[in-house]
Amino acid sequence: MRVLRRLGVDVIYPERQTCCGQPAFNSGFFDETRSVGRHFIDVFEKERFDYVVCPSGSCTTMVSHYYPFIFEDLPDERERSEALGGRVREFSDFLVNVMGANASDLGAHHEAQAVFHTGCHQRRELGLLREPRELLENVEGLNLVGWEKEELCCGFGGTFSVKMPAVSTAMADEKIKALENSGADTLISGDSSCLMHLKGRLQRTGHDTRVLHLAQVLDQKNGG
Amino acid sequence: METQKPARRRETEDRRHEGIVSGVEGFNERGRKAARDKELHDSVELFTGKAVAARNAVLHALPEAPELRKRAYRIKQETMANLDRYLEQMADNVEARGGKVFFAEDGEAVVRYIGDLARRKGAKVVTKSKSMATEEIELNRRLEEDYADLDLEIVETDLGEWIAQLAGDHPSHIVGPILHMNRKRITEVLSQAAGEELPPDVEALGSFARKRLREKFLAADIGVTGANFGVAETGTVATITNEGNARLVTSVPPVHVIVMGIEKLVPRFEDLSVFVRLLARSGTGQKLTVYTNFITGPRDEGELDGAEELHLILMDNGRSKLLGTEFEEALYCIRCGACLNVCPVYRQTGGHAYGSTYSGPIGAVITPLLKGQKDAKDLPHASSLCGACWEACPVGIPLHELLLKLRNQQVEEGMKGKGETLAFKGFENTMKNPALYKISGKAGRLVQKPLKKDGSVRPLPGPLGAWTDSRDLPPLAEKPFRDLWKEGI
Amino acid sequence: MAGRTEFLETIRHRTQAGRYKPTHAPDVAWTPKDEPRESAWIEDPPARFLEELEVLGGHGRRVTTLEEAREYVLALAREREAKLLVRWDVPELEELGVDRPLGDEGVEVALWRNLEDFREVAGRADIGLSTARWAIAETGSLVLEGGPGRGRTVTLLPPTHVAVVSVEGVLRTVPEAIGKYAGGEAGGLPANVSFHTGPSRSGDIEMSIFVGMHGPGDVHVILVG
Repeated sequence: MRVLRRLGVDVIYPERQTCCGQPAFNSGFFDETRSVGRHFIDVFEKERFDYVVCPSGSCTTMVSHYYPFIFEDLPDERERSEALGGRVREFSDFLVNVMGANASDLGAHHEAQAVFHTGCHQRRELGLLREPRELLENVEGLNLVGWEKEELCCGFGGTFSVKMPAVSTAMADEKIKALENSGADTLISGDSSCLMHLKGRLQRTGHDTRVLHLAQVLDQKNGG
Repeated sequence: METQKPARRRETEDRRHEGIVSGVEGFNERGRKAARDKELHDSVELFTGKAVAARNAVLHALPEAPELRKRAYRIKQETMANLDRYLEQMADNVEARGGKVFFAEDGEAVVRYIGDLARRKGAKVVTKSKSMATEEIELNRRLEEDYADLDLEIVETDLGEWIAQLAGDHPSHIVGPILHMNRKRITEVLSQAAGEELPPDVEALGSFARKRLREKFLAADIGVTGANFGVAETGTVATITNEGNARLVTSVPPVHVIVMGIEKLVPRFEDLSVFVRLLARSGTGQKLTVYTNFITGPRDEGELDGAEELHLILMDNGRSKLLGTEFEEALYCIRCGACLNVCPVYRQTGGHAYGSTYSGPIGAVITPLLKGQKDAKDLPHASSLCGACWEACPVGIPLHELLLKLRNQQVEEGMKGKGETLAFKGFENTMKNPALYKISGKAGRLVQKPLKKDGSVRPLPGPLGAWTDSRDLPPLAEKPFRDLWKEGI
Repeated sequence: MAGRTEFLETIRHRTQAGRYKPTHAPDVAWTPKDEPRESAWIEDPPARFLEELEVLGGHGRRVTTLEEAREYVLALAREREAKLLVRWDVPELEELGVDRPLGDEGVEVALWRNLEDFREVAGRADIGLSTARWAIAETGSLVLEGGPGRGRTVTLLPPTHVAVVSVEGVLRTVPEAIGKYAGGEAGGLPANVSFHTGPSRSGDIEMSIFVGMHGPGDVHVILVG
C-alpha cells in the first residue's frame, strides 16, 4: 500500500472483498469456487479503477487465468471474468511494467543477503521472472544471490500441504537445503502462501532466516 | 473365430492385480518412506537432474522447438477427432501388406490373443522389448498364469526391464526403469542369473547381460513389442530405443506381435518428423535415439530376416471413453517421461509411490482415467499443481489442469468425505458474505490466542494437524487489513 | 470382422476438448531467447555428418575412391582380428571388392544370400558390412532400408558395423530424411526402414553408459565421393 502510494498511485481497497476462492478450486470444489468468484467479480466491478493490484502471484492467476476456466460454460460470467482478468496485475508486474518504477525511485534500502523465490503461478502462468529481480537488484544494501533448483515448487499447493504433508514437507526441505547452500540470510517472495509454508518449516527446523514479502523489502527505507 | 479356453482361469478380487495399489492414505505414506530413503532420493535426484539438463540443452538449441510443440498438439487433436477413421486406415494398410490386425477391447483380450497364438505356434521363448502398454495389462504375469501349460519363457530385453524382471521388481520411471536400484542390488540380481559372483562394474555386468540376452534373442519364437507411434497412412509402426533390443525383437523371430494403444496413432508418415524429434529430445536429451525403426508389414519378398508373420493388436483398455471429453488431452501423451523429471513431487517420492504402471504427473492423470477414480483416489491429489509438467510436456498437455478436473470429478461423484465437503461449503458461505468473513476473522483471532506460542500457532487439531506436525503456523495478524484501512493507513 | 466394427463404433465422435495453451515461463525451451545453436544452415553436410558421428563415439571417414574405402575395411578387419565378416548382397559392395582380399588374409566372408541359418552366421560374425540409403548430417545417422540381400541383423548382431555410403546420399536434416518416405501409401515403403544413430548403448545401471548393449558398439561409416 505504502509503496504504491509513494509512486503516486491512487489506491482503493474495496472493503467487501474476501478471497479469490483458490483453496476450494484446488480441492476440486468448482461449484463453491464459482460462488466465491461471483462475489469477487461483483465486488470489484462496482469500483472504478484502471488496475487491480494483487500482492500474490497465485491469487492473480486465479482471477486472470482460472476464473475464465471455471466459467467456461457460462458465457456471461466468463466475459465478465475475462474483462476483469485483463486488469488484474501482480504486484511486481504492476510496478515494473505499468508504473515503470525502480527500487531507487522508492528509496528502498535493506541490508541483507537474499534469495528470491518465484511462486509457481507467477513463473508459469504469468511468466514474471524478471520483474521482481529488477526491483530487488536496485535495493540499496541488498545482495541478491542465486540458489540451485530455484524453479522447484516450495510444496505448499494449498490443501496439498495438509493432504500430503510428508511429501509437502520434503519439498520444503529441498528448498531449504538450496537456501542453506546459497549462504543467504533472507528469503523474499511475492507469494505469501509460499512464504507461510517455507517460514513455517524454517522456524520448525531451527533456522533464523528472515522471511519477507517483496513489498516489505521495497517499503523499507532505512536499512532494515 | 474359435478361441480355445485358456488352461487355467483365476478369479482375482485383489485389486493389486490390476496394477494399482493405491488408497486414500497410500500416496502420502509411500511418499514419506521414499523421501526418507536417502539412497533412493539421491538416485532420483541425480537421474532427473541430468535428464532435465540434457533436455533443456537440446531443446533450447532447436529453433523450431516451440513450433513443433504446437504442431504435435494439433496433430494429436486431429488424430483423436477422427480416431475411428485413422484406425481403420491403419488396419487396412497393415492387412494390405500381409499383416494381421486384432482389435482388443481390454487387457484380457490381448492376453488371450497372444496366448492362443503362442499355443498355435508351439512357442517356447518370447522376447519382449519395452512396452508400457503390456505392463499396464500385466501381460507377462497373466500369460504365465493363464497359459501355464505352455511353459513359456517370456524375457524382457531392455536391460533395465530385464533386471527388474529378474528381481521380481517393477519399473519406476518410463525411461530409466530401474533408477531406484543401486549397483549392489543389480550385481546381486545379475549374479544370481549368472550362477556366479559378478564383479560390480558396469562393463562386467553389461557384458554378461549382452551375452545372456543374445541367447534369448536368437532363440525367440515370438517377439512382442509395443509401438511408440503408428502411422495410419502407411500402416507403419515405429519403435524407438537406444539399446537395439527392439530391432532384435522385430528382426529375428519369425513372428512379431505389436501391442499398440489406440492413441499412439498419427495420421501421416511425415508427422513422424515432429514426434521422433520431440520424443528423443524431450525424453533423453538426444537429437535422435540410437535406433529409430519403422516397420511396415511382415518382411518383404526375398528378405531373410524380419518377421514372416506380423500381428498388430490395437488396444483400447479404457482409452476410447476419454475421447471427446474434457480429459481427452491425456491421450496426447507420447510417453517421453519429461513430466516425471521436472515434477517436484516425483523427485521426492520416486515412481513406486504412485502405485501404478504409470507414475509422475502423467501417471496421476491417466491411472484414474483408465482404471477408474475409485482405484486411484489419491493420485489426483499427489500434486501441488505447480505446472512444471505442463511446461515440460512436448505436446503441451495441461496436466496440472487435468489434475484439477479430476479433483472436481471426485467432488461431483460424491467421493469426498463429509468433513471436507462441509468445510468447503463453509468456506463458500464465508467468502461470499463479507460480514461472515469479518466475523470468522474475529473468531480466528480469539481461537488462536491460547494456541499462540512464541509467535506461532500450534498444535492444531484434526486435518490441520497435518500442517503443524512438521511446520510452524504464523498467527493471523492482530488487526485485519480492513481495520487498518479504515483507520487511514 | 465383427470385432472391428463394434470396436470402431465406440470411437466415432467429434472432439470438443482442448485449446492449446502456450507456456509463459520464459526460461524454458519453448520460449526462444538467444540464438538457438542449431539454427545455422548446414553448409557442408558430409563434414557435419562426420562431426556428429564422432561425438556419438562412432568413427567416420571421407574418402574419394572405392579403393580407399576397401583399404579401410581391410585395415579394420585386421585391427579387430576378425574371423568372419558378413555383408549385404548388393552391387555397391560387390564393386567394393573386399571379398577376395579378405579371403586372402584368412577372413571368411559370408554373403547375405540363401543362408541356411542367418542367426548362426550373423551371430558369429565379427563385422557386419552394409551400405546405407541415406545419411543424416544433423544427427550423424544412417538410414538403412531392408530388402532382399539387405539383412537387418547384419547391422545389429556383429559387434562391429561398417557402412559404406555415397557422399551424395548425405541429407541435411531429420525432416528431410523422413520426407523421403512420406506422402506415399503403404505399397511404397520397404517393410523396414531404420535410422541408426551411433553405437548401441544403455544407461540403466546407475546411469553409467555401457556401449554395445544389444547392437554394435563399434560403428564405422565411410563416405565415398
